[in-house]
Amino acid sequence: MNLFQILAVAVVTGLLALSIVAMARGWATRREGLAWAFVWLCTGVAIARPDLTTFVAQALGIRRGADLVLYCAVIVMLVGFFMVYARLRRLRRDLTLLTRHLAIRDAASTYLTNQPVPPNDKIN
Amino acid sequence: MPGIIPVKQPELPLRSRHRVSVDRFNDILPTTLPHADVPDGVFVVVPAYNEAPAIGAVLQELRTVSRHVVVVDDGSTDSTLETARAWATYILRHPINCGQGAALQTGIDYALLRGAEYIVTFDADGQHRVEDIAALLSPILSGECDITLGSRFLGTSVGIPPIRQKMLRLGVLFTRLVNGVNLTDAHNGLRAFSRRAAQRINLRLDRMAHATELIDQVRQSGLPFKEVPVQIRYTPYSLRKGQSTRGAIRIALHYLLGRVLQ
Repeated sequence: MNLFQILAVAVVTGLLALSIVAMARGWATRREGLAWAFVWLCTGVAIARPDLTTFVAQALGIRRGADLVLYCAVIVMLVGFFMVYARLRRLRRDLTLLTRHLAIRDAASTYLTNQPVPPNDKIN
Repeated sequence: MPGIIPVKQPELPLRSRHRVSVDRFNDILPTTLPHADVPDGVFVVVPAYNEAPAIGAVLQELRTVSRHVVVVDDGSTDSTLETARAWATYILRHPINCGQGAALQTGIDYALLRGAEYIVTFDADGQHRVEDIAALLSPILSGECDITLGSRFLGTSVGIPPIRQKMLRLGVLFTRLVNGVNLTDAHNGLRAFSRRAAQRINLRLDRMAHATELIDQVRQSGLPFKEVPVQIRYTPYSLRKGQSTRGAIRIALHYLLGRVLQ
């Protein structure tokens, strides 16, 4: 292993440990923890043994392992962008509902002051 | 209206409760309304965003036809709120800018809370004529339909630039394709609703795409609607506040995306 591999594997191992700890202590749900652990495990293996990605890629009909990693990264990023965008929209929607609720709650009525005062509504 | 609970009105500031201010307005405002065609249960909803130069005159005119003018200040950064305070019956303020669709919905909800029998929506930039309100209301009052939509192409438009006209025609075509509704003018801010029609309106698209969304809901409500010719006054001010062609394309995209995502 070259220097980059040693450093990268060390970082990824740390992240893997973190996701397991997070799962164990209940910071993340079981499913989230397992998903992240799986991602870090795959990343670590791909860094330590690049020839394995080539093996998988060729099984899928892609020539180089690096291409497989690139395609996967692009797909994950696009899905991620879309999910973030959808969440932003939902957030914006909630913000609007909150704003509208506040506006109605705090509505200032000038009805009494701007109108000719009807007998029952006299202000003393 | 799920989630919106009517609460006690906040105390008015002492100054505005003072007798003097009542007398001051008595001099300006007519005690009897000159328009017999506009009944007392009519609420006029005016969404406003940075309309300080125009809104005063608009509200002053509106007060001659309705006792219930609801202004929704959509987070304006100019003196729209202060100007509106002198003329509006009810003032609502969005603490942050949420777009015209949201402002309209706030105004409609509030008018319904206040017991509105009919609701008219009216733009704050002075492009509509107060005289057209009675014409919009008459088919609803006679029970002919529940919703009326103002159309500038059935009526006459004063000083409409050719490019704006083409753009609006495209907007109509868009509405026809997407909503399957045949209208002559899909993007007119002057509309009237009966109470039961207003109760079925629930705008979810914040920004300007609500115009197309509103047509959707009008159609889905199953309530009868019709277009009524109205006149639009195109002034340099209202044109500047209107949509650019690029803005219109953005609105169309926003609407389509909203349909996919929701």
